[in-house]
Amino acid sequence: MKAILTDVTKCIGCLECVSACKSANKLPMDIPRLWQKNDGLSAYNWTSILARPLEALSDHKFRYIRKQCRHCLEPACASACPVGALHQTPDGAVVYDSQKCIGCRYCMMACPYGIPRYDWESPVPYIRKCILCHGLIREGKQPACTEACPTQATIFGERTDLLTEAHNRIRNNPDKYINKVYGEHEIGGTSVLYISDIDLDFMAYKTHLGTKPLPQTTSTAMKSVPVTFVGIGAFMYGIHWIIKRRNDLKEQSKSNEE
Amino acid sequence: MNRVRAVKMILWMITGFAAAVGITRFIYGLGATTNLSDSTPWGLWIGFDIFSGVALAAGGFVITAIVYIMKREEFRPIVKPAVLTAFLGYVAVIISLLFDLGLPWNIWHMLVFWNPHSPLFEVGWCVMLYTTVLLLEFSPVPLENYSRYAKIRNFLMRFRFPLVLLGIMLSTLHQSSLGSLILIMPYKSFPLWYSGILPIQFFISAVALGLMMVTLESLFSGFLYKRHAETVLLSKLANAAVWVLTLYFIVKMTDIAVSGKLPLIFNGSWESFLFITEIFVSILIPIGIFSVARFRMSIRGLWFGSICVVVGMVLNRINVSGLSMLRGGGDSYFPSWMEISISAGVVSAAILVFLFAIEKFHVWEKPPRYPESEPSSRPQFDIPSQVWLGNPLESGRTRYSLAFLMSFALAFALIPGVDIHSKGAEIVTAEPARGGDSLFIDGNRDLYGVSFNHQKHISENGQKESCVICHHMNRPMEKESPCYRCHKLMYQPADAFEHEWHYNSKGGNIRCYQCHTPGLEKTALSAKKCDQCHNGLFPTGSRIIAKQYMAPSYVDAMHGLCVNCHRQKALTDDSKKDLARCGKCHESVPPDYMKPDAPGMNKRPYFNRVLMPGEEKVLKVVD
Repeated sequence: MKAILTDVTKCIGCLECVSACKSANKLPMDIPRLWQKNDGLSAYNWTSILARPLEALSDHKFRYIRKQCRHCLEPACASACPVGALHQTPDGAVVYDSQKCIGCRYCMMACPYGIPRYDWESPVPYIRKCILCHGLIREGKQPACTEACPTQATIFGERTDLLTEAHNRIRNNPDKYINKVYGEHEIGGTSVLYISDIDLDFMAYKTHLGTKPLPQTTSTAMKSVPVTFVGIGAFMYGIHWIIKRRNDLKEQSKSNEE
Repeated sequence: MNRVRAVKMILWMITGFAAAVGITRFIYGLGATTNLSDSTPWGLWIGFDIFSGVALAAGGFVITAIVYIMKREEFRPIVKPAVLTAFLGYVAVIISLLFDLGLPWNIWHMLVFWNPHSPLFEVGWCVMLYTTVLLLEFSPVPLENYSRYAKIRNFLMRFRFPLVLLGIMLSTLHQSSLGSLILIMPYKSFPLWYSGILPIQFFISAVALGLMMVTLESLFSGFLYKRHAETVLLSKLANAAVWVLTLYFIVKMTDIAVSGKLPLIFNGSWESFLFITEIFVSILIPIGIFSVARFRMSIRGLWFGSICVVVGMVLNRINVSGLSMLRGGGDSYFPSWMEISISAGVVSAAILVFLFAIEKFHVWEKPPRYPESEPSSRPQFDIPSQVWLGNPLESGRTRYSLAFLMSFALAFALIPGVDIHSKGAEIVTAEPARGGDSLFIDGNRDLYGVSFNHQKHISENGQKESCVICHHMNRPMEKESPCYRCHKLMYQPADAFEHEWHYNSKGGNIRCYQCHTPGLEKTALSAKKCDQCHNGLFPTGSRIIAKQYMAPSYVDAMHGLCVNCHRQKALTDDSKKDLARCGKCHESVPPDYMKPDAPGMNKRPYFNRVLMPGEEKVLKVVD
């Protein structure tokens, strides 16, 4: 499992990763539109930098947080997609197959981080999001964003190595960092990890995500589908049989009386 | 005017309106026609047409279950209309889905590419199968009119019971699975509408809604064709609905109480009001009405109660599928008029088909009387022109076509070009220029600058329309235009060359023509280069060349003169690669001299980065 670790304290907000992403994935220019969310991500921006004020506002200090697809270990989007257009590669990247997509946008609804974006403007629209440059990874290279980072704020590697590295950094600097690797356990773990000195819970829809992977929420209901199907059929047939028999007996007794 | 004719005309008008909008949607895409956005990817079409549409069509399986499974033969007269309503309902759902899907021509992919983990996959399959089942269940009715298809009809009639049973099984599955769709969004939905037993709640409410939809359909068509309503039959349905609604209420409230969400109902937020409204309209008011036998037996009571349930349950489906998530997404959404007209158009078209089927086929035991069946509306022989003409004022077809075309044209006229071609740039509230009307602009922060009169620029360039000339939203990746975009000469008296000193008698004391070639415009290009007067300005062998160009500001100089060059070098030479990287100079917390309140710095956030919603206001420094 490949992963990306972003150290928020090292980011200088230079947007090198954003422009590298754009050129590596050949994304066109983007015009801010009404239908885009105000977090810089769009169908043509797969990663963005968010500025968060640090400490007191009078200090004018900021932290820059890179937003991108989290590449969940158990992705909700892939579980939700009715045609399996979104799926996980062996490397851990959650990628999209536009040949399969039907455009239902259930993945956008299912993602707890609100990552997948839609090409609203086009009459032939597709879902767009970070694909962890899985083409480059397969060639043995690293994604364009981590390659471009001038301060090593965002780095690429094996997920286990990066987790060790993250915990090491926190252990060596316990006063600096919040003692938490964001993405280690949330919703079953994500491949994009963050360590930070400010709270990063604002990145998701709700401040505290549980550790339960989201695909599990629907799996109980989906597992009971065949049982329900056969069960309701048998139940209904049973009722039918009983009532029919009762009616028949009634008629018989009637005719007997006559 | 005849009731049927008036209603049909209105329905044709709505359909015509929607047809024009529908064409626009397929040519220009979702962005041009809907108010959907990245934060609200599901809107009215999903909430009303799909979630509510499927639930509204539940009457078919409920009534067939009552008649074929429970053997309550007294309900047989309403089976055919109920199955027809359900069938048309499902067709309407599928057609709306074609509008909503981004790539509707790929809808068949669900048959080939399977993802059994997805509730939507299951719903899709069930809807497809159930629509087929409904078609087979209903098709004996139209086939009755044609004696040559008697064999097919008999064949279908023989499989009636298995079909009904299969229909009930499929309905149970997908009515509940629509609830499972939402289960994957625990962090997005508002807790009052999120529950682990959402599928069960959906199923129970669908049964209640099915009963009430059959009632409403019966009342409506009775009203339309001035037909005696089956009050006794309908009041029995209403009685059943009371029990189902009570069960629904108990299940729903118990679930909320057990999970400790009761306080949320009374916390005064808009979600709590929405919830209370929904509970009252969909459950409590109908239970109250139908519990009283006098109201249950009256036409007016039935009308009111069934409309309550239908409206309330539609509200519930819309809430669950999106309305309750608006706060989580941090965005607002209201359907555009085009979305509303498509939804209305699909429903109208379905009603028109329903009326057509009622008039042509043996859906009711006694066929209805409708205008076209009456002799007065027959086409008549026109004596002057010697041809058969329908009386244009009487003929239904002419009227309906006219209504359709007129509203079709109206819709096309109403669709604005802006909506079609672009949703426009992000709307930013304009604020007056800082420091009043005139602004001191100091690009290189050396305290020498120009005074910028905002009001003068606005009035000279065409008032409000002129804003975009400088504050560009029409050029990608550009926040605002620099002055030199228009004032091409503004860099002439730059800090590298002090104009004022050169022509001043106390300084250089030279005349204009001594530098600028006479007769030409006084630009940098028509002037001498520095080293033509200042001998030995550049040492011999220097790589610096005197150029006649605009002097860059400090930031531009550092980035443009150093970084660009080093970046070029870095492509071939790895040894000094770091000199081209931002991180060489910049640190994660900027140094003092780059802070906004440092002397000479503009008082505003120094990075044009995306701020989180709400933070712009906090950060805006008020002078």
